[in-house]
Amino acid sequence: MADSSGTTLMDLITADPAPVPAAASSSSSSSASSMTAAASPSATHPQHVSTKTTLGEKKSKRAALMQIQNDTISVAKAALNPVRTNIISHQKQKQKQKKPVSYAQLARSIHELAATSDQKSSQKQLVHHVFPKLAVYNSVDPSLAPSLLMLDQQCEDRMVLRYVYYYLARILADTGSQGLNPGGGIPTPNWDALADIDAVGGVTRADVVPRIVNQLTTEATNTDVEFHARRLQALKALTYSPSSNIEILSKLYEIVFGILDKVGDVPQKRKKGIFGAKGGDKESIIRSNLQYGALSALRRLPLDPGNPSFLHHAVQGISFPDPVAVRHSLEIISDLAIRDPYAVAMALGKLVAPGGALLDVLHLHDVLARVSLARLCHTISTARSLDERPDIKSQFNSVLYQLLLDPSERVCFEAILCILGKHDNTEKTEERAAGWYRLTREILKLPEAPSNSKDKSQKTRRPQPLIKLVMRRLESSFRSFSRPVLHAAARIVQEMGRSRAAAHALGLQDLDEGAYGNQYDAVDSLDSDMNDSSHPEGIRRTTGVSNAAGGKDTIAGMLASLMEVVRTTVACECVYVRAMVIKGLIWMQSPHESFDELKSIIASELSDPAWPATLLNDVLLTLHARFKATPDMAVTLLELARIFATKVPGKIDADVLQLLWKTCLVGAGPDGKHTALEAVTIVLDLPPPQPESMSGFTSVDRVSASDPKSALALQRLVQAAVWFLGENANYAASEYAWESATPPGTALMMLDADKMVAAASSRNPTLAGALTRLQRCAFSGSWEVRIIAAQALTTVAIRSGEPFRLQIYEFLHALAQGGVQSQLSEMHLSNGEDQGASGTGLGVLITPMIKVLDEMYTAQDDLSKEIRNHDNANKEWKDEELKKLYETHERLLDLVSLFCYVPRAKYLPLGPISAKLIDIYRTRHNISASTGLSDPAVSTGISDLVYESKPAAAESDTLDDDLVNVWAANLGDVPAVNRVNEFLAGAGTDAPDVDENIISRPSVSYDDMWAKTLLESTEMEEDDVRSSGSSSPESTGSVETSISSHFGGMNYPSLFSSRPTTYGGASQPSERSGGSRVNNPSMYEGYGSSIREEPPPYTSPERYDSFENPLAGHGSHSFQSQDDDRVSSGNPQFGTALYDFTAGGDDELSLTTGEEVEIEYEVDGWFYVKKKRPGRDGKMAGLVPVLYVSQSSGST
Amino acid sequence: MILAVLFANSEGNILVERFNGVPAEERLHWRSFLVKLGAENLKGVKNEELLVASHKSVYIVYTVLGDVSVYVVGKDEYDELALAEVIFVITSAVKDVCGKLPTERLFLDKYGRICLTLDEIIWTGYLESTDKDRIRRLVRLKPPTEF
Repeated sequence: MADSSGTTLMDLITADPAPVPAAASSSSSSSASSMTAAASPSATHPQHVSTKTTLGEKKSKRAALMQIQNDTISVAKAALNPVRTNIISHQKQKQKQKKPVSYAQLARSIHELAATSDQKSSQKQLVHHVFPKLAVYNSVDPSLAPSLLMLDQQCEDRMVLRYVYYYLARILADTGSQGLNPGGGIPTPNWDALADIDAVGGVTRADVVPRIVNQLTTEATNTDVEFHARRLQALKALTYSPSSNIEILSKLYEIVFGILDKVGDVPQKRKKGIFGAKGGDKESIIRSNLQYGALSALRRLPLDPGNPSFLHHAVQGISFPDPVAVRHSLEIISDLAIRDPYAVAMALGKLVAPGGALLDVLHLHDVLARVSLARLCHTISTARSLDERPDIKSQFNSVLYQLLLDPSERVCFEAILCILGKHDNTEKTEERAAGWYRLTREILKLPEAPSNSKDKSQKTRRPQPLIKLVMRRLESSFRSFSRPVLHAAARIVQEMGRSRAAAHALGLQDLDEGAYGNQYDAVDSLDSDMNDSSHPEGIRRTTGVSNAAGGKDTIAGMLASLMEVVRTTVACECVYVRAMVIKGLIWMQSPHESFDELKSIIASELSDPAWPATLLNDVLLTLHARFKATPDMAVTLLELARIFATKVPGKIDADVLQLLWKTCLVGAGPDGKHTALEAVTIVLDLPPPQPESMSGFTSVDRVSASDPKSALALQRLVQAAVWFLGENANYAASEYAWESATPPGTALMMLDADKMVAAASSRNPTLAGALTRLQRCAFSGSWEVRIIAAQALTTVAIRSGEPFRLQIYEFLHALAQGGVQSQLSEMHLSNGEDQGASGTGLGVLITPMIKVLDEMYTAQDDLSKEIRNHDNANKEWKDEELKKLYETHERLLDLVSLFCYVPRAKYLPLGPISAKLIDIYRTRHNISASTGLSDPAVSTGISDLVYESKPAAAESDTLDDDLVNVWAANLGDVPAVNRVNEFLAGAGTDAPDVDENIISRPSVSYDDMWAKTLLESTEMEEDDVRSSGSSSPESTGSVETSISSHFGGMNYPSLFSSRPTTYGGASQPSERSGGSRVNNPSMYEGYGSSIREEPPPYTSPERYDSFENPLAGHGSHSFQSQDDDRVSSGNPQFGTALYDFTAGGDDELSLTTGEEVEIEYEVDGWFYVKKKRPGRDGKMAGLVPVLYVSQSSGST
Repeated sequence: MILAVLFANSEGNILVERFNGVPAEERLHWRSFLVKLGAENLKGVKNEELLVASHKSVYIVYTVLGDVSVYVVGKDEYDELALAEVIFVITSAVKDVCGKLPTERLFLDKYGRICLTLDEIIWTGYLESTDKDRIRRLVRLKPPTEF
């Protein structure tokens, strides 16, 4: 069949009228036609014309059904046709039948052939033609099952049976997910729908699955020796059934445990080298095969951590002779060990002792088995619950260290990662720091370690410091030609950098730069017994030099030489390897060293057009992670980020860059803020992206925006920077109107503009500098930039005290009237726009802003007049007067809030002098000063609104075009914050995770500040006051929601509502996140909510505990309900799982069909749901796709 | 988890595709991502020379084998090096089934057998058998270790 089918196949592809799938469409037509030319001589089957038309009609008729995730589209088409012709030609010979052929025809052939399966010809037909062709369909429809089962029972032919198991497994595996709409994309023909219609009878999965399961179960429990190969296959097929089916699952457990009960006990110890060896007596081989089959099945079953027999059987597996069984057993155990290290360690017992089965694994020729061993050893050796058993821990530890010598890079690297404290993506900073500590500490420890517990092979080796081994290994890996090895080695370097950064962050930097002597003290407590033996070497190294230098020479020297090799790897052809290398370099960059080299490497890398946008953004996110790990590096990292902005403006995500600026600005600390802001605004100082400006600048500062696209992108970046400046200048300068150092009344006295500017810059150079930049932008940028600059200036004006406000006010006036720009801006670069009568063309835009400022000043004037009147007449303020004043105050506040966020509680549009009077009125009328508005999340909302409406609109549109990579489609619409967090969590950076900070540092620390100011940096100084004062329970009691009525029109959530769920209905986006913080005196949750948009960390009970906050429970309650804007608030929503859902990530939750859940809220097509009781994976709550849950209102 | 195994011909048409734990809506992305990756990088690459890529914490190792290109996608314990092991098993098994470096036609001719082989190598997202003989025995419904 080979040749003719191949050529006919190609011939038919060209003729096939069905639409070609998109994935293949670009190439398939050309390829098909070229192949036709080659194939035509032998294309001879007469039927294919009629065949194809019939098929075409069918397809068009059923176009409505065409919607599944058929995976083998092109080949489906390709291979379907030969099947057709073949079947027909065979059938002509055999059955003298001629039918139109389709998937259904194939199915029919199976039905017919199954009936005659005793005949050799039928078997041959099945094996050679029908089954292989059926394989091209990703799913097999259930109507085939009866015939398959018939074949299973009656047919003897091994190949037929093997296929039968294959297809039965596929029927079982089919989770019925066709109903789900694949997220966009090409319409693919629904083969299953076709099959359903054409095949006889409406057989559904529900009908056949029990029959299949029964049949397979019977076979899997058949103890006939001759049958055992089939038994294994039957067992295997059973494991394909979805794990949500409890019935099948329990059956499977039963079968597997049944087999293991019989064959699990290893009578004699496994001989060395027996792994997978042929020979041996039949009985033991059959036993080993069964052991293998059972353990493989067990591996596919969900973990059952509490079950002692599960653990027992898994542990038994380590001693099995079958290498694959051993691997599975280790994998299961290493997974179990994460849940319950103590039980696992106890169960392993003597296996880890010298000569035990675990040590045999070291010599097992199965890489993944050794990888699992490394993980297992790491989990146990670091388990807290085993603190009382240091003997066990050290045994496992020594196995782990031996794995460093493993010939396979995979295993060695895994061991390194384990030592570094990286096992999954959830490890804490402390763990990572301890990892670095371990890696470097072992320099002292290892010389004695081998003689301690190692087996004979170890004794012959010279004792080696861990770090030396690792460095040597890495260096040699970097010399490899294999790209995967290079990539992996660079990744290891990155992880090393992470652990090192974590160690530094925790103040353990002594470890590598510090002294041996110092380390002794630290080590003393841990391994006093090791010390004696390690002294000689240590002393030798430290004598003569100061002890600090001793440490540096060794580790720092080794690191330096490693980094030298790493840097050369940048020459690799593969961008992915290079990206990993750069990430590694970023992580290994020490805050105290010069980063010129890194800068020039990145700069030259970015000139390479081969870099895909996603990869660059990944590197950018790495900068983010690096910053989170080492906030000291803010300025350095900003410098690096700037290279991205200038070199590849078209490829990077402006949102992510902006977020990086912001986090860096916040993280730079009080001293670094000015520098950080400077670094950000350097983008503004870039020359306009004109092609001729390409030369004459230093390499880093050169704008590579030769094409219009990147020029546009750079413009966007400039816009973003201007906006950023406006939003954050006040924060960076620590200048707020509501905390102005200027004494009341002095402001208005400085009316001379020149004096004002002078006074301003002397008072606050940071803000003055930012203002200058903004003013320049308001004149000389493109119109988009000018608009944003004007907005930014207004923001600064509103937020700043005098004299800045007045200065901006003057400037805006000038701007609105035009004609003075030549005085103020020397960079008067014409952009070809006619600036017209309104001067800068911004008049329309600026007028309302000026109006607000005007009103504020007028009101201030009025107020001071009033005060004077009252003072002069020496009369009391009447209530009406106060009321009028208060109303003006509120009105101005509302007006101001339209432009930018200000803390309502503190902001005094009428000037500082009004504070007293407003207070009097408030106290009299029992109005709380604080409202929901003082919430930073709200502010983010507002700034988001501002941002979204103006600059971002232009951004998102153009962005999509630039991001050619397919992933962009996936990622482009995710907000930058989500992206960053996704990266930080998903990609496993070691940066301090939000959740962890909550636990480890309940006090206000840098991280909290970071967290909060990510939302709104201007809120920073606010926090203490608010959290301690305004939202304290006392004030809560008194005011309740009276104030909220004042803001009813604006829908601001009340801070003190006792029913947090009512926020759910808030209509403005700003409120959505606002609600989360409202009832919570600490800032963590607010941060979490708007950043992560999903709160899983807060729902697990232990988090509350660690919160140590009496209101935490309450707060998190409100938190959970805050985001649901679709699910109506008030009473809980319930739902039923429609399908099985397997969690794809840590924050997701697995569902079983029919399971009852409580829907907490919805976000982006996901429900955050809670189960009544923990699922198999032990999780109670998490995200599930909306489509998987049917909502039912009311409680159940 | 081995997220995906994918075979494509030299034009980028997909021949075999196996996903594990990849939501339906993501498969399309993966498919086009991998094909694009191959189109950009696989020209002039020697048979079985391994290429690597990564996306976030997901790793991709791919190579050329005769007329077909093979892509393996994995995460967690299946990092680039483990995937290199996986792809080695796959390529050697495919060569074994085809008897030589597969042409596209040869590959399609052996399609059923290749599917079964793949089924023995990767079983619900985990690497299973790695030994060539063992795989061959299992495909023929013989016990993994023979007496």
